[in-house]
Amino acid sequence: MSGIRNLMTDDHRRCDDLFAAAEQAAGRGDLAAAREAFGQFHAAMLAHFGSEEGTLFPAFEERTGMTGGPTQVMRMEHQRMRALMDEAAEALDGGRGDDYLGVAETLLIMMQQHNMKEENILYPMCEQHLGGDGTLEGRLAGEIGVP
Amino acid sequence: MRAALSFDSAPPFAAPLRFFLTAPLFGVLAGLLLAFDGGDALASRWSPAALALTHLLTAGFMLQAMIGASIQVLPVVAGASLSRPLLVARVVHPLLSGGALLLAGGLRWGSGFALESGALLLGVGIAVFLGAAVVVFRVRSTSPTIRGLKLAYVALGVAALLGILLAFALARGWPFELVALTDLHAGWGLGGWAGVLLAAVAYVVVPMFQLTPGYPARPAWAFPLAVLGALVVWGTSATFGPPWLVRLAQVFLAASGIAFAGLTLKLQAQRRRARADATYRYWQFGLAASVLALAMVASATLFPALARHAAWAPLVGVLLIIGGFVSFIAGMLCKIVPFLAWLHLQQLARTRVPSMNQFLRDDETRRPWLAHVLAVVLLAGAALLPVLALPAGLAFALACGWLGWNLLQVVRRYRRCVATVEQGRADDGTPREPDDGAA
Repeated sequence: MSGIRNLMTDDHRRCDDLFAAAEQAAGRGDLAAAREAFGQFHAAMLAHFGSEEGTLFPAFEERTGMTGGPTQVMRMEHQRMRALMDEAAEALDGGRGDDYLGVAETLLIMMQQHNMKEENILYPMCEQHLGGDGTLEGRLAGEIGVP
Repeated sequence: MRAALSFDSAPPFAAPLRFFLTAPLFGVLAGLLLAFDGGDALASRWSPAALALTHLLTAGFMLQAMIGASIQVLPVVAGASLSRPLLVARVVHPLLSGGALLLAGGLRWGSGFALESGALLLGVGIAVFLGAAVVVFRVRSTSPTIRGLKLAYVALGVAALLGILLAFALARGWPFELVALTDLHAGWGLGGWAGVLLAAVAYVVVPMFQLTPGYPARPAWAFPLAVLGALVVWGTSATFGPPWLVRLAQVFLAASGIAFAGLTLKLQAQRRRARADATYRYWQFGLAASVLALAMVASATLFPALARHAAWAPLVGVLLIIGGFVSFIAGMLCKIVPFLAWLHLQQLARTRVPSMNQFLRDDETRRPWLAHVLAVVLLAGAALLPVLALPAGLAFALACGWLGWNLLQVVRRYRRCVATVEQGRADDGTPREPDDGAA
């Protein structure tokens, strides 16, 4: 299966996997492994956000003329998650495993409800308006690191 | 498509919160009523106290939580925002609260006036909510959750209509087959409304809270349709026959519920979260109790002699409604209310705020959870040994009161943080970090 919706949804799942690895390591008290896994998660998330904000959303906005709608909300939620990830990284760097788990839980729910909106609403709209644009899909795949 | 444009608008905290805070109070009332009425209450499903208890829990506890959750969840999962969520909440909440109290009172004390007015208030409250929730029907069903929500709302309407009919039939002595109609009302209410809504929400929150794999697409799409299909077959064959088709539909319904619970247990076994938390514990317990209850429903349908035991139906009710639904709801409230507190505070403060776990720590949920398990065990025991009704009722009132207290703590901590932020703004125009507010 291909298409923008599947591509971006699969990347959400990949980020989930990395999140889980970091949380499990922190849960075991292995903060070094948690930092390592969280670093990968953080990088994958930022790449995903960057690709959406730099490529997917502008293409969607240009095609539909909707600039103040769903994409704007998604950008705002990205900002919130960036802040939470910074906070989580600080907790890990400071060796505060429990604080990390608390922030991670908040981040997880924030992230999941955000993903839900994208997967159920925004990506289907993108697919509808931008589906079949192979160049765009290729660019997105490159940006989020899918071969 | 138009609805999708407004999917930013999370409703104000006050809209769902009033329902979430009221729900546990109905649990406390139910527990106290059981303690007050003692062993007679669970002697039969038809005793006035048993009927009152059932409706304090279903039309009270469950309906409050489920309507509150709907108001919150529609924009997120379906992109369908109610146009004026706070107004809807302000109108619907008193109607549902007053209606459930009157209905339960009418059933308990045999007042036809209370029974009818309670049923009508509930009906109007549900109608206003459904009128507002009709936006979801304008959204295309791009996920099994969206379809599940639509079907659940249809079932809520049917359950409410059957309930109003029953209330009037009971109050005025209309010549209906009350037993068959009551069973059908319970089927639409517990299976079609509560069961399908639970599944629709579970498709989203089980993977989200527990990091399990997602529900496989085919059963997720099929379950809501299977439940409503079985209920339609049940209703038509109860009216036009043949009777065996009624039984077949009931067994099919119970089996669908067991399949859903089994699938959820299987997914939860693959969870990737580091720690078991309150939500997970409540869900595991709720799923086990539901499977047991539904297996009892199926076996009594196949072997009607079983159901002749007076304790059978009350036991099923305790396991399904309190062991199952109340557990799921309590587990989700422990997570959703702190998350919403964080979300709204974050929007207000636009700076770093305490994480959701600081609004409700997991260790604060542990003892209420144990009280809940104890209550369910005692309640199941009370269906068999009437002497246990008093401790069972008190334990359940305690568990619900504790849950409500925890949720109130979240709100108290939230308000304190809001006050800190606003104080900071008043002092120097910049929001202050409300870091110490929660603790």
